[in-house]
Amino acid sequence: MLSALIWLPIIGAAIVAFLPGNISAKITRQISFAIIFAAFIWSLVIAIQFKPESSTQQFIESLPWIDSLGLTYSLGVDGLSLPLLVLNGLLTCIAIYSTDEKIIRPRFYYSLVLLLNAGVSGAFLAQDLLLFFLFYEIELVPLYFLIAIWGGARKNYAAIKFLLYTTVSGILLLAAFLGVVWFSGSTSFAYEPLRTHNLPLGTQLLLLGAILVAFGIKIPLVPLHTWLPDAHVEASTPISVLLAGVLLKLGTYGLLRFGLGLFPEAWQNLAPSLAIWAVVSVLYGAFTAIAQTDMKKMVAYSSIAHMGYILLASAAATPLSLLGCLYQMISHGLISALLFLVVGVVYKKAGTRDINLLCGLLNPERGLPIIGSLMIAGVMASAGIPGMIGFISEFLIFRGSFEAFPVETLLCMIGTGLTSVYFLLLVNRVFFGRLSEKVVDLPQVQWSERIPAAILAGIIILFGVVPSWLGRWTEASTTAMINPQPAIAKVIPAVSFSEAKLP
Amino acid sequence: MTQFLLETSWWVPIYGLIGSVLTIPWSAGIVRRTGPRPAAYFNLLMTVLAFLHGSVIFRLTWNQEPVEIVFHWFQAAGLDLSFALDISPVTVGAMELITGMSLLAQMFALGYLEKDWAMARFFTLMGFFEAAMSGLAISNSLFLSYAFLEMLTLSTYLLVGFWYAQPLVVTAARDAFLTKRVGDVLLLMGLVALATMAGSLNFPDLYDWAETANLNPVVATLLGLALIAGPTGKCAQFPLHLWLDEAMEGPNPASILRNSVVVACGAYILIKLQPVLNISPVALNALIVIGAVTAVGASLVAMAQIDIKRALSHSTSAYLGVVFIAVGTQWTGFALMLLFAHAIAKALLFMSIGSIIVTTNNQNLLEMGGLGPKMPATTTAFVVGTAGLVGLLPLGGFWALRLGMDDLWTERPFLVVVLLLVNCLSAVNLTRVFRLAFLGKTQPKTRRAPEVPWQMSVPMVSLSIVTLLVPVMMQRLSLLPGWAYVNQTALLLLCFSGLIGVVLGVIIELPRNWSRSTKSPLRFVQDLLAYDFYIDRLYRVSVVFVVSQISRLSNAIDRYVIDGLVNLVGLATIFSGESLKYSISGKSQFYLLTILVGVSFLGFLMIWLFDQATFREIIEKVVLALNG
Repeated sequence: MLSALIWLPIIGAAIVAFLPGNISAKITRQISFAIIFAAFIWSLVIAIQFKPESSTQQFIESLPWIDSLGLTYSLGVDGLSLPLLVLNGLLTCIAIYSTDEKIIRPRFYYSLVLLLNAGVSGAFLAQDLLLFFLFYEIELVPLYFLIAIWGGARKNYAAIKFLLYTTVSGILLLAAFLGVVWFSGSTSFAYEPLRTHNLPLGTQLLLLGAILVAFGIKIPLVPLHTWLPDAHVEASTPISVLLAGVLLKLGTYGLLRFGLGLFPEAWQNLAPSLAIWAVVSVLYGAFTAIAQTDMKKMVAYSSIAHMGYILLASAAATPLSLLGCLYQMISHGLISALLFLVVGVVYKKAGTRDINLLCGLLNPERGLPIIGSLMIAGVMASAGIPGMIGFISEFLIFRGSFEAFPVETLLCMIGTGLTSVYFLLLVNRVFFGRLSEKVVDLPQVQWSERIPAAILAGIIILFGVVPSWLGRWTEASTTAMINPQPAIAKVIPAVSFSEAKLP
Repeated sequence: MTQFLLETSWWVPIYGLIGSVLTIPWSAGIVRRTGPRPAAYFNLLMTVLAFLHGSVIFRLTWNQEPVEIVFHWFQAAGLDLSFALDISPVTVGAMELITGMSLLAQMFALGYLEKDWAMARFFTLMGFFEAAMSGLAISNSLFLSYAFLEMLTLSTYLLVGFWYAQPLVVTAARDAFLTKRVGDVLLLMGLVALATMAGSLNFPDLYDWAETANLNPVVATLLGLALIAGPTGKCAQFPLHLWLDEAMEGPNPASILRNSVVVACGAYILIKLQPVLNISPVALNALIVIGAVTAVGASLVAMAQIDIKRALSHSTSAYLGVVFIAVGTQWTGFALMLLFAHAIAKALLFMSIGSIIVTTNNQNLLEMGGLGPKMPATTTAFVVGTAGLVGLLPLGGFWALRLGMDDLWTERPFLVVVLLLVNCLSAVNLTRVFRLAFLGKTQPKTRRAPEVPWQMSVPMVSLSIVTLLVPVMMQRLSLLPGWAYVNQTALLLLCFSGLIGVVLGVIIELPRNWSRSTKSPLRFVQDLLAYDFYIDRLYRVSVVFVVSQISRLSNAIDRYVIDGLVNLVGLATIFSGESLKYSISGKSQFYLLTILVGVSFLGFLMIWLFDQATFREIIEKVVLALNG
């Protein structure tokens, strides 16, 4: 069942790549959309058949691949990866749907997007460290081209920066994985039997450190983040949607699965420093976002701040905070996708993203009133207004982490206040006020440009009103991430909230 | 049937929300053919429904035990976030007040916004506004209340920003949101801490917890201060008070609600939280100080305003300051009564000035005058509203302030003085506004001033009658004391302070061309008050300055230090940019290969550096694998 999620897009990519040359870009888009929509529906089918009460991997598929290397093709899905898989399908659908009709070299473009989807799905499904690594690397090649070919003015710079960073991330990851397997004396890279508790703590810390830096680049965490704003600014809108919505989640997913999951003991040791790292990331990202004048850059820095919450919650590693991690991943995926889509429309119509040039876009007749309303919905969701998914995810994270790190949690909460500062700045400058002279003749916005954003806004509100629909898939898995490992269960009461820790 | 109506009391907030959703096709411009009116009618209809349903519930709950309704909204990982509703006479009464006010304000808006193109959008927001407030009234959980407070923050932002093309509106909306948000984030911090310590966020559980809680005094103080921060922002109290004044740039029907019931919502939360605040004496004292400072300061500032709406909005801050004092001294009965009396009287005052503004297209008091004979209903409304607010004639405000004086009489005589002072200053201010607007010679802008259309005058006249009936309602709710129990000295003092205020307001000189005084001490005071003690400038050089400097600093670090380092390293690598032109078509496959080879080469190099033994092992394994 699960293989289809990987192979359907790959085969689709091959088909799209070898379509006859006389097929128009529009038809190519429709074909790719059909393929990816089928994959998305398939992921929903899996979600329906998934048993939420079980915490173990489900729909397991395992084929020996290269025995002597210890590499097996083994796939599985649990409550942590399932929502991310569905998100991946949904956002790829939206990305393809919102791609410009007259894009250059359409066959290459769409096959790369499909390949990207396959790589990400594979990484979420992989139950073997080496297999995960392979998909993790595969995904960066299409993304590199998508930025380098269809990007903006400084696309080469951004693409190479992205490639260099992610390569370093991949190398560190590979090194750590090899280290885990060889130091623990395992015969294979299979995830399940791997446990590190009999390794010396120093080795554990070293390996975990490598994994943290590797995923810290991907998430990204300050100071490993500077590839992200550049990549976002240069990437086209659909690619930004995928980058922010899905690809960053590979980092947080890896952090939980391979950081916390493989090194519970070392994790416990590093947790206090990780919490401080999270605070730095959140506040740095938020403050830097305030100073941005490019809308895309602002959203990118806000991503950095919002991903910092996930580090905080995974450092706390309580059942509630881990559930909050998953909520935040989904919520950030949806919200940042919405924001990038809307910014993309503004850029397409107005020709600039500079908040000092744009003004008064809410104007009912000559502006972009509906796009503006969607933007307001997006920024409010991002700022954590109740009734939208951003609020419940942040609340779960804060409530779950406060027990373990009260001061750090409170500092991170300042970040939510700062979120409203920079996003309000954006809305006020760009959408409020009198329509500026420079952008006075805006082309009409088509409904096809509004629909993807409207769908995302709908989902954001839906999950904000009934968040339990999301949590039921995940709760068993995130709780199980902590419970079977006595090391953490024992330590939690010791670090749990005590009044003496407050200033 | 009775049971059914009680159990469905949570529908009342939903009505507002439905009304709001129903108007979206008009406000989004999808339906244009009918004009925006149908949207308004939908909303009005839903509000009428909410009001009727609420009044039935109110009669049912009268003399009954409170009913509690609990929804388990979110249960996971040991957390139980429930929506608890408390259906008691007080909460349902508050909800009735809100839906009633909303009904009147919406009717008023039909006239006020008749010529506005975005009327449908206004009603969408009003429905949302009403839903959040009426939900807040019956909420029995701090979590739910917080959610509603945030929704209020959002809808205040959108309502203040309704005429978003005007420059002052843009800053007003921003300041309203950010100021409230500061309070809300602090409240959220308190909420998270409280949830962790008390385990539940439902008010009854919190009260039980607070009685036995044994907290470190520092933690208790911080918690208490965090909890009062939210209401401080919401009620426009010092130091988070500036937004209310600026928010007067928004449309007047929303201001009616904002100055009567929205600010009351913040105070309402505070009253609900009062048993929890008992854990921290510092927080209670802070409430008294904040309340007293705001009450006196805002009363003074109000007197120096020449914008008719702002003159009244500062008075709102002042009255809410008195409510803060009441909660800080733990007299919640006084707080509720004052909120009730103030909400009705202030709404009426705002309707009256709304009529003036719509007729004269002007908010500047100095350009008004002589409206009294031309607009009788409006004038009556202003007089009745003033009488209902000031403690002089035996209407709502009088009885509420009397209760407060009785409560504070023996223990806190100083606060009694504050009460009297506020009463006196507010009488001066309202008399001054009355003289400037309604008396004197007509001015160019008030020459043609017909009475407002029925959509505005009907709610205004009805509310005037309601204001006059407030003492009767209080009598029915047995809130008025018997004559034997009245502290007659206090009563006299109260009347006296009101009288002095009115007399002062009558005799002070009010030149129409009220320019800045030539006497420098007087001019200093006048400017100081007119510009809110320059507090906005203080913020600009402190908080705003610090945040913007930090953000510029972090941006510079990002650009020159971190990114600079990265670029330096990047330059030294083999992939140094411009020599490879990836975008040339046809060559991509070749570059794909180059990159893959490069990546794997780098990978192996790193492993080799990292651990040579491992490297050898990999090579051996790969060789083995290749050999089969």
